Amino acid sequence: MNRNLLWRGVVILASIVAAAAAAYPPKEKIRLGLDLRGGMHLVLQVHTEDALRAETDGDMERLVQQVKEDTQGKLQIKLQRTGDSRFVVTGLSPDDMTEALHAADRALSRFNRKEQAGSITFDMLPGEVSKLRDQSVNQAVQTIRNRIDQYGVTEPVIQAAGGERIVVQLPGVDDFERVRALIKNTAFLEFRITVYPKDGSHPAASREEILQHFGGKLPDDVEIIQGTDQRGDRDSGPPQPRFYAVEKRRTVTGRDLRTARPAQGNMGQPIVEFHLTPDGAKAFATLTGEHVGSGLAIVLDGRVVSAPVIRSQIRDSGIIEGSFTQREVEDLSTVLRSGALPASITYLQEITVGPSLGRDSINEGLRAGVVGSALVVLVMLLYYHLSGVNAITALVLNVLLLFGGMGLANSTLTLPGIAGVILTIGMAVDANVLVFERIREELRAGRTVRSAIDQGFERAFTSIIDTHVTTLISAAFLFQFGTGPIKGFAVTLTIGLLASLFTSVFVSRWIFDLVLSRRKVAALSI
Amino acid sequence: MRLLGDTHIDFMKYRKFWISISFILIAVFFFAVFTIHFNLGIDFAGGTQMTLRFRERPQVDQLRSLLSAAGISDAEIQRFDQEPLNEVIIKTPVTKGSEEGSRERVVAALNRRFNLEQGGKLDANQAGADALGQLLAAADPDHVSGQPAAAAAPGASPEAARYAAVGDALIKERRKEGLFHDWNAVARTPGLSPAAQAALRARAYLGDYAVLGVENVGPQIGKELTRQGFWAVALSLIGMLIYIGLRFELRFGIGAVMASIHDVLVTLGLFIVMRFEFNLTTIAAFLTLIGYSTNDTVVIFDRVRENMRKNRRKPLIEVMNESINQTLSRTIMTGGLTMLTVAALLALGGDVLRGFAFVMTIGIIVGTYSSVYVASPFALLWEQLFGSKSRIRGEGAQAAAGGGARTSAAGGGRTSAAAGGQAKTGVAAGGAKTAGASPRTPATPATPASSQPAAGSTPRPPRAAAGRRRSGRR
Repeated sequence: MNRNLLWRGVVILASIVAAAAAAYPPKEKIRLGLDLRGGMHLVLQVHTEDALRAETDGDMERLVQQVKEDTQGKLQIKLQRTGDSRFVVTGLSPDDMTEALHAADRALSRFNRKEQAGSITFDMLPGEVSKLRDQSVNQAVQTIRNRIDQYGVTEPVIQAAGGERIVVQLPGVDDFERVRALIKNTAFLEFRITVYPKDGSHPAASREEILQHFGGKLPDDVEIIQGTDQRGDRDSGPPQPRFYAVEKRRTVTGRDLRTARPAQGNMGQPIVEFHLTPDGAKAFATLTGEHVGSGLAIVLDGRVVSAPVIRSQIRDSGIIEGSFTQREVEDLSTVLRSGALPASITYLQEITVGPSLGRDSINEGLRAGVVGSALVVLVMLLYYHLSGVNAITALVLNVLLLFGGMGLANSTLTLPGIAGVILTIGMAVDANVLVFERIREELRAGRTVRSAIDQGFERAFTSIIDTHVTTLISAAFLFQFGTGPIKGFAVTLTIGLLASLFTSVFVSRWIFDLVLSRRKVAALSI
Repeated sequence: MRLLGDTHIDFMKYRKFWISISFILIAVFFFAVFTIHFNLGIDFAGGTQMTLRFRERPQVDQLRSLLSAAGISDAEIQRFDQEPLNEVIIKTPVTKGSEEGSRERVVAALNRRFNLEQGGKLDANQAGADALGQLLAAADPDHVSGQPAAAAAPGASPEAARYAAVGDALIKERRKEGLFHDWNAVARTPGLSPAAQAALRARAYLGDYAVLGVENVGPQIGKELTRQGFWAVALSLIGMLIYIGLRFELRFGIGAVMASIHDVLVTLGLFIVMRFEFNLTTIAAFLTLIGYSTNDTVVIFDRVRENMRKNRRKPLIEVMNESINQTLSRTIMTGGLTMLTVAALLALGGDVLRGFAFVMTIGIIVGTYSSVYVASPFALLWEQLFGSKSRIRGEGAQAAAGGGARTSAAGGGRTSAAAGGQAKTGVAAGGAKTAGASPRTPATPATPASSQPAAGSTPRPPRAAAGRRRSGRR
């Protein structure tokens, strides 16, 4: 064997060893996608305007307190939020205006303001707005991660995906209901003062009833929030809707929570007990102190869970009552503890795949792959005889390299990816066919075996490059377009094509050369 | 074994006929697109798709009436009659103003009749491993607590560890069929003692169905995916045009892209007629098809380019015919082999990949046809409309001079010195022709340079270099 042959053989052997090492054991090295393994894929939208509004409300409250402090309570300014991050102070006399501006200088640093006759419009600086939005998305990612960690999922993916979105991938999850609830149901907690019904009991049955109470038009600082559905007998018909009119202002939210844990109420019903941070406790004390006798609406994800009456000032701890089960109380405590979400969340996309569905898919894919490969092998042997063996050797190596490459690239095998593997098998032999047909043609033209092989590979090479590049172009667009499973397909196809370039040109050529170097071949079996 | 002998079919003679056929096919399928309801999957249309398995064969009518009683009247219910799986897919379209889909509403509607809670018991067909493990730990039927912890993790109580393992085993057993059809199926769980089984029966019940999978796509994501899918297809076509335009010539690029568009349209038409569901995987299939259908075309064009270089005097139409005939057996072999694999996928690959396999199978057939009957005629048409007439009819003395020189360089090269010399002349002649012949076709004389980028740096065409290497080895 000459040195050139030996050297090429070493390269091929090294690639086999490397691929085998990267792919073995396949159970560990080849990660299965969610569609095969089962699990959840979620795209969440973070409603960052919630966080903006909460921040703005907090700043408004600060301004009110500052003005009160400056004027020893003589001036009570009227202000109203007119956008997510904008509010107006109205009804100001020129003196009041000076006072208000003075207070704003001290209390509010992140607002632009515009003065008009008798009113000032405060607008949060654009930089601050986008900073707050980013912050709330990041905080939401962190919070969800904490929750998932407490639930225990291996290899979870939780990441911000731009556009105030979060992608969550949880492979192997088996209790979808619980995980959904864990991520979402307990997102945004706030405490609001009820306006109608005043003490929180006997909520209205419809929005109209509340509107009627206010004479057709809601006051500016009041909004209507629906209550959660009461748990009832399943066959008793749809639950009765409940509505509350509450103040828009939200001074205390889930962010002010220090801890929360499940407990039992007076009647043994499951409740959640919470403690507030020092700052939260101060705000909570002010809020409850000013509204003794009113209802305190506990709003979770934009729904009133319960609205107990405030009997006396509450400082740093309280309970959340609702019609909860024990399990719900446990999960609610978990998420409140792990940090409340800064803003509410909706699911834009949800894909849950049960593990048994994935198993079926794998079996069907495997069966198709085996049958398809067997057919290819058969045709290659029938049509190209011994050279067919050469092609099949290259093909086997191709599949090995494909899995090795996937192991190295740490990529994921998805259901379309299985189709990609099968397609690769079909396309890999194409390159061999191009070469073999060219060799046959050269042989017919009267060349010797050696020269025909040289010519065959040389002349087929440009075609092989071109055919591979065109498919790679498609795969590249597929990759940037695709989500999860489709990306998996694009990656599989790309690795398979690169591997086929190597096996059908380099390896197949080497096998021919090896055989020719050993003995004189008068007629090529092709 | 040879599939075909030396063929001499005049493919280009009937090109107008075949192109007309193609146009008619495309027209028919456009008609189909507008008349037949497009079966758009929820990836693009948005909506909710749930896969359920029932313990007992459900009646579609019953499911439908349950759903419509709950105000879900537009659900599409599909039952798979594959015993004993009793699988049902329920598809509901996007509900206005809701990103989150109708999953909860569907479950609530079904639960008015199914999965009726039994005195606060746990649904063993729905609960996760944790819940089942906790349930058993609370009952402790195997009396583990109090015993010394054998292999329990530090910190965890022995019963928790023991029953967590049983919970996992139960889930593993349940996965086999998606749900427990009866308690006998539960009993088959390895490691589940009769006592534990009794405890389970006392505290849990077997729900009538289990939700195996849910896919919900809000209208927002659906719209984005549609837009991205469109751009992915369009951009990859443009990518093909640019690549082939650079590697070959513009007219070949046009021909290849026309063939790809042809393949996509014809396949898409059939796809719609066959009522397959158009989803993300389908887009993947079409993008792959674009790449693959270009493959066949490239093989033919590659030969056209080679033959053009061999004989510059021959009219393009004859060169094309000759090239198609020469590459015919490999065109059929490559297409056929790939088709074998995707046809296996179509037959055996399961429901999810069926659409993908269909697109690829049909696409390869159509793509093989179009490489012969669409790509080359379009390249020719482009040439006739915008190109130099001389190349088609083989006129022009300068072209002949340049061509002649190149022919000997490419085809022969028996003596290295002569090959090198002639090649240089060839390039010079070719260059002269560029200046003199037709300023309207910058593409034609650019052939050697663009196909063999190495030629740009040295005046010697690589083909001659190859010839020299060959003669040297001998």
